Amino acid sequence: MSSETPDTDPDATPCAYTDYREGEAVEELPATGEDATGLEADVWEVLYEIEDPEMPVSIVDLGLIYGVAVSDDGVAHVDMTLTYSGCPARDMLEGQVEEAVADVDGVEEVDLQLVWSPGWSIEMVTERGKDDLREFGLSI
Amino acid sequence: MVGEIESPEELDADERDALEALLQRLADDEYVLAERYTEWQVRAPTLESDLALSNNAQDELGHARLWYDVLEDLGYEEHELVYERDPDEWRHSTLVERPFAEGDWADAIVRHYLYDVAEELRLEALEESSYAKIADRVGKIQSEEGYHREHAENWMERLATGEGHERLQDAVDRLFPHALTLFEPVDEQTEETIVDAGFRTESLEDLAEEWVNTTVPFLDGLGLETPAVERVHFDEYEFEVLDEELPDKRGRDGSHTDAWNDLHDEFTRTYRELGRSEATKIMETAE
Repeated sequence: MSSETPDTDPDATPCAYTDYREGEAVEELPATGEDATGLEADVWEVLYEIEDPEMPVSIVDLGLIYGVAVSDDGVAHVDMTLTYSGCPARDMLEGQVEEAVADVDGVEEVDLQLVWSPGWSIEMVTERGKDDLREFGLSI
Repeated sequence: MVGEIESPEELDADERDALEALLQRLADDEYVLAERYTEWQVRAPTLESDLALSNNAQDELGHARLWYDVLEDLGYEEHELVYERDPDEWRHSTLVERPFAEGDWADAIVRHYLYDVAEELRLEALEESSYAKIADRVGKIQSEEGYHREHAENWMERLATGEGHERLQDAVDRLFPHALTLFEPVDEQTEETIVDAGFRTESLEDLAEEWVNTTVPFLDGLGLETPAVERVHFDEYEFEVLDEELPDKRGRDGSHTDAWNDLHDEFTRTYRELGRSEATKIMETAE
């Protein structure tokens, strides 16, 4: 091996890809259920209780829940995304959401859909979520 | 129209088969490449490169899952597709199944480069897919793929001086024909349907042309020869993959190199063994 060090790019920045500010804001997201009523509000409430497995922040404040709708026959439709496609906690989170929502009085069935568009970005995190993440030690 | 097809119920039998073939190509490429990448865990030349390749493996496994999810629309389940399919039902390119010679980091880097240029092109050709669930997830995958090609190119440049050059050349000689199988059809009729139905908006011929016109000049710039270099004219785009340049086994048609059987046997072993030894049986032997 040569002992010479390669020329370094003067504009290079270390770990350029950990810039968590990337991503475009999407209208209607984050969805927080603040205007929800009845059963849907109850569903949002239990979703708020579920935290990301790596950080002490609610999955709702993290912006993972894109929508909740409960139909007249008691089927709760939940649209959820994940921050990363290779998330090793995918099955766990899906299980937690399905279990929590199924426990809501009046919900007969849970239809959980994983959605990927628009792709999650830091813009989807609520202000409270950002506070929680800062508290945890992330600089966002 | 982009994403106009919401469900396989809107498709005829040929279109369903074509959709299935396209998704299997996409998912299997990602899954098998990730399987090979993981062999470098704790063996890469530096801790940083170890982490980088492990991360790539995790990305590709995530993307494989996104494509296997879409195959669930056609009635499959993920565990069946990964652990219960026979080896000759897999549709990945032979590029991703080739074994690494011990410590041949240049092979991993060349494979990584040749594959990720192809993946970038193929994702662009899926952005406007007529099948909604394909079009929907392309953006997510692209956002995670962005640095793969850059990582590969950085390493190619780093290795292209000194003794690394010879290792790169050996890897190019060995892998380039297998990389060409990335653009081989499952069969001609199925490929035609994939494009006619708008599942992918570019033909494999066009993708191969773009790929060759990207990779060959880049390799040439590093002083690396490719079998195809004489037929790539830098001001023209036309290129056709010649049959004699392709390896005997092409992956896409279900034919695979022997190394694939070994790899398949290895990653399905635990699943098979668990199926044979239920917990209750272990309890019974304790009597």
